[in-house]
Amino acid sequence: MSHKVIGCSVEQINGSKKVTGKSKFTDDLKMQGMLIAKVLRSNIPHARIKKIDISIAEKIPGVIAVLTAKDIQGENSVGIIIKDEPVLTDEKIRRIGEPIALIAAETEEQADMALAAIDVKLEEIQGVFDPEEALQPSATLVHKGGNLLVHKKLRRGDAETAFKEAIVTAESNYITQMVEHAYIEPEAGIAYCDQDKVILLVSTQDPHYDREEIARVLGIGQHKVRVIQQPTGGGFGGKLDISVQCHVALLARATGRPVKLTYTRQESIIASPKRHPYKIYYKSAAGEDGKLLGVKVKIICDTGAYASYGPAVVTRALVHATGPYSIPNVHVDAYGVFTNNPVCGAMRGFGVPQMAFAHESQMDILAEKLNISPWEIRRRNFLTPGAITGTGQKLGQSVGILETLNKVQSYVKEQGWGN
Amino acid sequence: MKKRGCGIGSMWYGIGNTGLPNPSGAFVQVLDDCTVIIHTGCADIGQGSTTVLAQIAAEELGVNFNDISVICADTGVTPDAGKTSASRQTYISGNAVRKAAQSAKETIFKKGAELLQVPEEELILKNYQLNSLKNYNIQISLKEIMAKCREDGTLVIGHGWFNPQTKGLDKRGQGIPYATYAFATQWVEVEVDTETGEIDILNVVAAHDVGKAVNPMAVEGQIEGGSVMGAGYALMEEIILDDGKIINSSFSNYLIPTIKDVPCVNSIIVEEEEVTGPFGAKGVGEPALIPTATAIANAISNALGIRFYELPITPEKILNSLKTANNTNKNQRDF
Repeated sequence: MSHKVIGCSVEQINGSKKVTGKSKFTDDLKMQGMLIAKVLRSNIPHARIKKIDISIAEKIPGVIAVLTAKDIQGENSVGIIIKDEPVLTDEKIRRIGEPIALIAAETEEQADMALAAIDVKLEEIQGVFDPEEALQPSATLVHKGGNLLVHKKLRRGDAETAFKEAIVTAESNYITQMVEHAYIEPEAGIAYCDQDKVILLVSTQDPHYDREEIARVLGIGQHKVRVIQQPTGGGFGGKLDISVQCHVALLARATGRPVKLTYTRQESIIASPKRHPYKIYYKSAAGEDGKLLGVKVKIICDTGAYASYGPAVVTRALVHATGPYSIPNVHVDAYGVFTNNPVCGAMRGFGVPQMAFAHESQMDILAEKLNISPWEIRRRNFLTPGAITGTGQKLGQSVGILETLNKVQSYVKEQGWGN
Repeated sequence: MKKRGCGIGSMWYGIGNTGLPNPSGAFVQVLDDCTVIIHTGCADIGQGSTTVLAQIAAEELGVNFNDISVICADTGVTPDAGKTSASRQTYISGNAVRKAAQSAKETIFKKGAELLQVPEEELILKNYQLNSLKNYNIQISLKEIMAKCREDGTLVIGHGWFNPQTKGLDKRGQGIPYATYAFATQWVEVEVDTETGEIDILNVVAAHDVGKAVNPMAVEGQIEGGSVMGAGYALMEEIILDDGKIINSSFSNYLIPTIKDVPCVNSIIVEEEEVTGPFGAKGVGEPALIPTATAIANAISNALGIRFYELPITPEKILNSLKTANNTNKNQRDF
């Protein structure tokens, strides 16, 4: 069937506004009587809070509100999967960058002065920074329930037997790093009240989730919260979690005035969730014909101080551990572990770029051992329409993996590239 | 000395949340002048979902792209479309918008059938015109139908929602985690300077099975952007921690690719249409990034004959590995 609009490269709606710099991002907006917000954050990774003294900060001219956990009327927690992260902490600090107090002031300078004037008494706790150490019985606990956030298993066939029958095997350990999303626009939001409603203008990847969390934290109905996404300068997964939303909403309700909070680049890097660093233990077994017989994989994901998207990232890594290949025997264990490191959450690829580094290195190692080309080993193992995946799913017809490889190979050949 | 090498990375990626419901909803209104408004909760974060959703509605309703207006991501007026994540908006919100358009179309067809005195099944809506498939002389303009609807108090409003068919994973990880998957293969050629450890990416060839490219240039944009992000992941980006403290929290010491690091990316779109996708579409947002880093790592290994098991592969790591390899070779010769 021929299409009229589908398959056409029409110009992006609002594209010209973006490339000519005319788009108004949240931080470009100003409202009458708008206050500037700042967040006091912890600069040590693990501690118990003994006392928060805001009395001096409150008296600084131009400071309209200083809020701590006790000012939260609803629930003092957020989290997409587990509500384990305090909006403002008054008991335990689990990471650097954890929010402790909020300030709304007439000017940024006044807000900064107030930040410096808040006195927090702490009792430091030994931190744990390596996920494998965190799993030891003697490790300091980040959360009461233990440092193991999640352990997911994938079992299909009999991997042990596959390794016994294998002609070649490859066993390697892979390490991937923590990275930052580095969107061009740091987190930003404005909140204001309209009678009994709270309105938010915010840079976000999901206004409906924001609404749910703001309503819970304020202790009001979701129908009293309206979240309007502003032009958003990139997200890559980093604007899925709550950042400024609850903070500006709390301050707008407390002051009755519009409140804006924009992170500095440094604050954005320190406070926002990151890509999970992985340790991957990967064993592959193949037969003489170059076909994969089985894989055995162990994945340790450092999820940092709070769950965020951790459980979902771990599950996605588990499912994608095989790569786009037909493998009859699969044995995967994936662990998400709490540490006192920065929170790791969603980032473009959701745990799969890490797995791809491992399974694609393995394919090249096996190809070398079998003395076949990297093209050939992949071709022999790719998933096909109707194939069964590691989770036992029978695939449909839309499985173009072989076609992608063939197209790439012909293109490279045509160009005369490579060795 | 400069050494060249090439490497491949292949990947698969499930579209939508893993074995969990993640529905999306949409409203479509056809106005008296035959222009259309879509209401969707879908947040466009620069990837172009607003444009893609407008294209889907335009195609379904047989109207011009410029006659579509999209109101998005405002909880006061738009229905929940779930997250802009999991490469899901084209597939899931695309289906929701298409269903909403189909639901608006039902009213148009009903009215048209009544006016033309033919069964609804016989009609086709194209170019602002409702025609009988059996007899092309039997026709009525969309504008006329809208006027008749207005006359008798009928509003042409549709709503739709879509949730991909999945089955949660059991204790052994068995189930149907995703309704459909995107696939890709990327090939990278690098040049490694063995004196400085510097790596140049000479060429990237990236083929992505997206089901159907609703907007091919937007797909290419995703592939190019993803490849650059993947190159940063492979070669330079790393948050460095000291007991939980980020010690490189600015762009002067947290390095990301600049325009000078961007390689030539040759995008190839593969279209293995997905029957459950809107006009066959799947997704590309995340897949664009996934194979790049590993293709680069394989290319470096091909150039130097040394495998790297840790990302990022920095010039320091290249030089250290070359040194170790040299020493090993010398020792081997000595023995």
